[in-house]
Amino acid sequence: MKPKNILKYAMIVFLALHLFSACTSDTSAEQKFDKTPAERLNEQKSELNTALLSSEFGWKAVYFTDDTQLGGYTHLFKFSANGKVQMASDFNNDTATYESDYDVVLGSTVSLLFTTYNRIHLLSDSNSFPTTALRGRGYLGDFQFLYYGQENGDILFKSNRLVKEVRFVKATAQDWVDLPKNLVTEQNVVGASTRPLFRLLETNDGTAVKKYDFAFSRATRFAVSNSIAAGSSEVLSFGVGYTPTGIVVSPAIVVAGQKLTTFVYNDADGSLTATGTGGVKATIKYSNSPLVLTDDYKTFLDGKPQMILSYIAANLYTAPTTSQYCKNLLDQANATLPANQKIARVQIYFNSPFGNYIEYRFNGGRPSVFHNFTTTEDAVNKTIILNHDSWDNGAALIPAPAFLKNLDDEFMNASGLYIKKESFKITFSNTIWTITSASSNFRITTYQL
Amino acid sequence: MKILKQYKVILLVAGVLTFVACAHEDQPGDSQLDYSQPQKNALDNWITTNYLNPYNINAQYKWNQNTVDNNRFLFPPMVDKVQPALEVVKQIWLDSYTSVGGADFVKKVAPREIVLVGGVNSNSNGTRTLGIADSGQRITLFEVDYLNKKNRANVTEFVHTIQHEYVHILNQNKPFDEQAWQKITPGDYTGTWHLEVLQTSRNLGFITNYARNNIIEDFAETASTILTSSKAEYAAILASITDANGRAKLQQKEAMVVQYYKDAFNIDFYALRDAAEKNTTNVVNN
Repeated sequence: MKPKNILKYAMIVFLALHLFSACTSDTSAEQKFDKTPAERLNEQKSELNTALLSSEFGWKAVYFTDDTQLGGYTHLFKFSANGKVQMASDFNNDTATYESDYDVVLGSTVSLLFTTYNRIHLLSDSNSFPTTALRGRGYLGDFQFLYYGQENGDILFKSNRLVKEVRFVKATAQDWVDLPKNLVTEQNVVGASTRPLFRLLETNDGTAVKKYDFAFSRATRFAVSNSIAAGSSEVLSFGVGYTPTGIVVSPAIVVAGQKLTTFVYNDADGSLTATGTGGVKATIKYSNSPLVLTDDYKTFLDGKPQMILSYIAANLYTAPTTSQYCKNLLDQANATLPANQKIARVQIYFNSPFGNYIEYRFNGGRPSVFHNFTTTEDAVNKTIILNHDSWDNGAALIPAPAFLKNLDDEFMNASGLYIKKESFKITFSNTIWTITSASSNFRITTYQL
Repeated sequence: MKILKQYKVILLVAGVLTFVACAHEDQPGDSQLDYSQPQKNALDNWITTNYLNPYNINAQYKWNQNTVDNNRFLFPPMVDKVQPALEVVKQIWLDSYTSVGGADFVKKVAPREIVLVGGVNSNSNGTRTLGIADSGQRITLFEVDYLNKKNRANVTEFVHTIQHEYVHILNQNKPFDEQAWQKITPGDYTGTWHLEVLQTSRNLGFITNYARNNIIEDFAETASTILTSSKAEYAAILASITDANGRAKLQQKEAMVVQYYKDAFNIDFYALRDAAEKNTTNVVNN
């Protein structure tokens, strides 16, 4: 073909292509939506605005900022058409309602933004963090929430940074009144020193019961429960949000395939129970006996080598394993002494050349007193029982010192003592043993000498 | 030839058709975006009157995630803290520069936006970021909630931040002689400035520990610290330096700062310092 002809055909083809294609729409790709993105965003915006204003008493959200390490913070919102929002939260003791501004803005999608300072911003203060690991990150909170639609009358959001689901449910007038009760619930979850010393989480799938220990941090509102079954490394950990009647947890505790989230508080025994169907339930409750009974007490029975356990006030009064009740008894006894005298040590000798005895040793030059005892084993309950024998001052028998009676009675209680060898150390490398009453909240921490 | 002519005609017709072909398309209508102005409250009006109208500087106190670092856990200031903070900034910074540099000075060289953040911007190494200057256009001020107008030390630290950031903005408009500056204390800059001891840094010829971060910060710290100190306070700093060599280096830097203000902006640096001090006293006492 001659070059001229090539040019000719090329021109015809080009023109033909141009003419026929010029008006075929550039948006000929399959339309996924009837409307343009701008129209759809505007619709979403007004949909969210309408929804926010639609609830008479506003909205309630238990905001779990990150349920792998923190609990839930309940917020109540009442939005007004003029861009103002009334807000209250159970973040701290201040549950009053405050006003600030909000806006519905375009982020990576349509989002609800609390533009000026209010309670929810307390979760996003880099200078206020519950644990050192969260230094600079506060409570990992957001105050901009991406709109993800509505479900059964709830508004669904995801937090802006950590993309955690946040659900706004319609609030009631009662919710606003009851918010301070969440703080009472907090006390109940933390637990009172008047309650028994041991706590556990028990799950029941309708037939079998599984037990876990229960440790709750008030600062993070987060609970960790380790299975106590031998050989099991199962751990349940969950964030806790407070309600007027109990708690909600996230993630849910799954028992027999049922997700349990809402626990109801029972003030009679301090327990919190989540109930499913078919006998399925989970309970956080107190126990007078340790979750795992050990044979450690056998070390102190008759015929064994000498063992000396010593409570040294200077180092062990503040030990976390020394119970409040024990401290109260120590304080009571000390209060009866002159100002410069205090109980320095409670030192228990088992199977010494002089038999079994408790030495109460004092600061300030006061001479020690000795309580001699015999031991009995309770093999069923795995306790050792100390039986009163006599008191002496190292030289002669003396009457029982009245100021030590309440403290001493705990050691001599008829149900006996759980004695446990602990794995942690305090200040020194000595082995730590805890001595716990089987009938009260008395627990004392001792060094093995 | 004849054929070619026909082609020409076809080409012409086709060309015309090409241009008219799509003429039936819709004309653009009104924008679908909401461009209505938000309603202004009393504070917004105050900002308009005191910042926006005279200086063309916007002060933003409502949250906008695009003007802050989203990786930091920050939050907007309490609304009732905004105006006091802006008053302090206006009196000590804007008014001082205006009185010494002329009425139009800050109008020409100024950040176009001041962003106010309520809380502390803490860093993982335990330090706090007090302010940020972005590309000569924006100054972000942190810890607005903590400003106490009656506490001179507190006001001075807050104002130090804006003075420091504004020096950056001046530098971003007209660079200082970085090479000459670099030669004064070349070996003593360090990334771990926050671990240094102030007295040691001063003996090396730095006015603060942070000045040791790099020469840009060194210049800003030198200028802003002198601006937020009285003549006597600065003399006391100089007197506290036990290493004569270090003192000479710091004075060399001071001279360069003074020269920079003179050459770049025709501003008497010491007059500026005195004006700032007078205005600070006014703020604290009123």
